[in-house]
Amino acid sequence: MSDDAAAEAVPRVERATRPVPPLRLDGVTKQYAGGGGTVTALDDVEFTVERGEVTAIMGPSGSGKSTMLNMLGLLDDPTTGRVELLGSPVAGLSASERTDVRRKRVGFVFQEFHLIPTLSAVENVRLPTRFLETDSTDRAVDLLDRVGLGDRLGHTPDELSGGQKQRVAIARSLINEPDVLLADEPTGNLDRDTGETVLGEIATIAEGGVGVVAVTHDALVGEYADRTVRLVDGVLHE
Amino acid sequence: MSETGGTPVTTDESTLVARLSDRFPAASLAVRNLSRQRLRAGLAMLGIVIGVFAVVTLGMLGTALQTAALSELGGLGNQVIITPGDGGENLDQREIQTIRQAAAGGGTVIPLKSGGASVTGPDGQSFGQLYGTTRPGSLFSVEGVPDSLRQGAVIGDDLAAELGARVGSTVEIETNRYRVLAVIDSEGTFSPIRPGSAVVLPPGEFVDDDYTQVVVQADSADDARAIAAGVRERLNGREERVSVLSLTSVLSRITEFFALLNGFLLAIAGISLIVAGVSIFNVMLMTVSERRGEIGVLRAVGIHRDEVLRTLLVETTLLGVGGGALGALLGTTVVVGVALGTRLPLAAVLVPTNGVVAVGALGFGILIALVGGLYPAYRAAWEPPVESLRG
Repeated sequence: MSDDAAAEAVPRVERATRPVPPLRLDGVTKQYAGGGGTVTALDDVEFTVERGEVTAIMGPSGSGKSTMLNMLGLLDDPTTGRVELLGSPVAGLSASERTDVRRKRVGFVFQEFHLIPTLSAVENVRLPTRFLETDSTDRAVDLLDRVGLGDRLGHTPDELSGGQKQRVAIARSLINEPDVLLADEPTGNLDRDTGETVLGEIATIAEGGVGVVAVTHDALVGEYADRTVRLVDGVLHE
Repeated sequence: MSETGGTPVTTDESTLVARLSDRFPAASLAVRNLSRQRLRAGLAMLGIVIGVFAVVTLGMLGTALQTAALSELGGLGNQVIITPGDGGENLDQREIQTIRQAAAGGGTVIPLKSGGASVTGPDGQSFGQLYGTTRPGSLFSVEGVPDSLRQGAVIGDDLAAELGARVGSTVEIETNRYRVLAVIDSEGTFSPIRPGSAVVLPPGEFVDDDYTQVVVQADSADDARAIAAGVRERLNGREERVSVLSLTSVLSRITEFFALLNGFLLAIAGISLIVAGVSIFNVMLMTVSERRGEIGVLRAVGIHRDEVLRTLLVETTLLGVGGGALGALLGTTVVVGVALGTRLPLAAVLVPTNGVVAVGALGFGILIALVGGLYPAYRAAWEPPVESLRG
């Protein structure tokens, strides 16, 4: 099969010509024990996150999009296959080491924003670095300014609109200068105009060298993506 | 700060708070989290308040009652009373001398003559219990009673009230007149001799030369035990010449009873604290299940499990510290109030043991809160973030 040939060819080509990709899924299969037997959420998925590129993973509900994002975010382990971070497998990492990897290299944006209601915008942006010694306030202010919320620094989430919340969440995902930004339905709770603004921000982030992966069933996201792949019943189609 | 970075307000106060929250991230997050559900946090804390209050109140009152009772009964425990044995009515000089030898170095020997007589005072007549001794101070050990008595009389307060007699009045017994030198406050003393209706006279005023009993005021309970044994050994070797009564064992029974009572009260109060712990457990379980998604996000963005755990444990500990401190304060206030409003002496409340009770109850309250929150916090922090994020 041509897929197999491509899979064999890719590593050699990459090593020769391109920097090591921040994240790679290599033959990743994920199965769950369901009520009526085994459910295959991901079926032999090959996927590489490239720096500076926005990839949209499209697909209907239940197609395995979230599972794939969890694999990329080191939140879940594949049943078979391997996940590589900067060229080395993550399978041997402890829970604590994975947490550190997420803290240093991965940014997350969620459909539900998931901001802490009692914290101000600045504090929410600083949240991932909250338990570190460094003071990230200046960077947090800077990031909020970049996403156009320079005048909302002290506002709590309930004082912000949906679009503003998602922009705070994007700023939060960038506080650690990640290599990869993983977005789960980033426009899912936003109207079209606000969604476009948020996607514009995400595209800008990719231009800065971050590999962006967004799972969505919003066609709008595809318009802003450099590459769109489709996931149907756990099988990835380029 | 970047020049494009908006215009955050930075007063001295807000920078101090910011610096503190940077220094103690878990504590600052915990405080904010508690403020989210004020009523619920308040109710969980109320449980601890009530529990600690119960422990402090009952524990302190128990200690105070024990202290007060023992300070009144203490003299009783150190007394050995020697009366004539079978058939006898008096103790002769040789027997008294033997008792003095047995008590040497361990206590004061007070030979007593006793009898009953009608006493007439300024306002009336009543029956008085007559005692003859030169040393009423050792016998009653209450303020105002003279150490030695050569003339005049010391009378009990109940009798004084009936006779209308005061210090300086004159009372008449069988045509003899005596000036009242002191009135015994019978509330402050506890003695096998009934102090309320007593009339203490110099022994020379009695017709009979022999003494009817000897009271030995020992220096300690151990001395009292040794003296009682010594007197029995010296005088009752062949026949039962005297009967020896020592209340030391009665007193130690009373002490045991108080210890049992206090333990029982504290156990009941402890149960209310454990109930409070269950309520904290429940509240924390609700809290973490509501914040499940949020905790998943914390874990996803790189907050470690132990950092999440610490934040949640600080939350539950704060409930314990707040509730415990309030409960201990309220309990102490109530006990002091009771002491001020009743005959319970304040000095019996303010003993070191009660400090231990207050601090112990506070510590126990904090511990209970911590234990109550431990499992919910652990479960939330250790749940795989994939599961938590699913909500």
